[in-house]
Amino acid sequence: MTCDSILKLIPLYYYGELTPDEEERVEEHTHGCPTCTRELAQQRALAAALDKRQIAPAPMLLEDCRSDLIAAIQGGAPRIAPAAKGAWRLFLDAMAASFSGPSLSGLARLRQPIGALALLAIGFFGARLINTAAPSSTDDVYSTVRSVQPDNAGGVAISLDETRRKVVKGHMNDGNIQRLLLAAAHEDNPAVRVESVDLLRSQSGSSEVRDTLLNVLSQDTNPGVRLKALEGLKPLAADSEVRKTLRRVLLADDNAAVRVLVIDLLVANRDDNMVGMMQGLVQQENNDSVRRKLEKALRDMNASPGRF
Amino acid sequence: MAQDAAGTVGARVSPQVDSLIRAAQAGDQDAFEQLVRTYDQSVLRLAMNLLRSPEDARDVYQEAFLRVYRNLHAFRFDCSFHTWLYRIVTNICLDQLRKRQVRKEESPTIETREGPIDRMDTFQEESAHADPERSLWNRQLKQRIETALQDLTPRERMVFELRHYQGLRLRNIGEMLGTTEEAAKNCLFRATQKMRAVLGDFT
Repeated sequence: MTCDSILKLIPLYYYGELTPDEEERVEEHTHGCPTCTRELAQQRALAAALDKRQIAPAPMLLEDCRSDLIAAIQGGAPRIAPAAKGAWRLFLDAMAASFSGPSLSGLARLRQPIGALALLAIGFFGARLINTAAPSSTDDVYSTVRSVQPDNAGGVAISLDETRRKVVKGHMNDGNIQRLLLAAAHEDNPAVRVESVDLLRSQSGSSEVRDTLLNVLSQDTNPGVRLKALEGLKPLAADSEVRKTLRRVLLADDNAAVRVLVIDLLVANRDDNMVGMMQGLVQQENNDSVRRKLEKALRDMNASPGRF
Repeated sequence: MAQDAAGTVGARVSPQVDSLIRAAQAGDQDAFEQLVRTYDQSVLRLAMNLLRSPEDARDVYQEAFLRVYRNLHAFRFDCSFHTWLYRIVTNICLDQLRKRQVRKEESPTIETREGPIDRMDTFQEESAHADPERSLWNRQLKQRIETALQDLTPRERMVFELRHYQGLRLRNIGEMLGTTEEAAKNCLFRATQKMRAVLGDFT
């Protein structure tokens, strides 16, 4: 055997990853070859130097990680109940607390952790669904929805990713597809959320879809996704639960376009509860187009903008 | 070459781990926690040594075990749990390493007046060297090792870490990374060659 071929085997020899035959050849050769013997010594020295670099995580860090994990699981991932409701109730409680005073920043602060809770829980819920999903799927591992693709025939293709990716195909009226879309509405990727929420709009008659749209509107960090949810809620603008959320969002959302669209939806179905709230809002609103929208809405309802 | 309990378990699923998994799959929270405790030290150590940052290691830990929690029902015992877990962990770590390669901002070394030092040195007790020359030599060696490791691709880095520090077999590593034993061998070979080239006769 030549030195060249032995040199290639030395790292693997050191790590005990050669076949017994190869191992014997290396040993035989190095016995009589100073070059390869030195090479082997160098390999050992390299390994010894690298050994010193190893660090053991501090025991405190491990304990912190463990308690973080338990908190995340106990706080956010119910194993059976669909999480949307839980997170929603949590959200309403938090809203009630944050609107007792004039502070408008409550929602922005809340959105992140609650969004994370919903994401985690829906992720878990979604993952369970895959197991029972009838539409063409063979692989049952998933963690991330990569894309949602509608086609012209009323179908939809959802691509999921973990170490493997797969596509689940089915019709919009398929219950499993709908539930996947509901889960996808909480995915990390905002493009997936926009696409899913957009597709769910056509199903806003279902109470589960309505709850998800309300959830997204209140909690999604991306205004584009919130606007899509609002469009989906348009046909439900007369629903009292929807109106309650719209009023809360109008008070708390930090995006002007969202607030303008909320006003549109609210005034489409006049109710007298709104007048007082809007009069109050006109005083505080910093954004010109939102303020003008509010003033116009109040005029249309024959109410004074309240600041004169 | 460290080989810890979880690494040894990697070759097969022990009956205890097996029953923990089944209980956790059935919703037993305590079993899940016990399962986590069986493996989490080696997971944290891997993340810490690869990323050299306690914050990043903590993120990897959290994300990995949450994914395990969410997907455990899908574990079918067709590979060892250790392999399944490490597929998740190595994926997350590789993503982090790749992001760093793109950003090039999170260097594992920090600049000081005495030159760059490993971030982790600030967390480690520096062993007291009476001999300043030896201490300088050691510091230079460390610096070269950091440079050498940064020259590796994320995949080479991962294979090296799993073989050298976690003591896993290359066949097992290939399985975790979705590749063959042969490819893992080549990766390890390239990694050692690169390091030898950077370190030269220093070692």
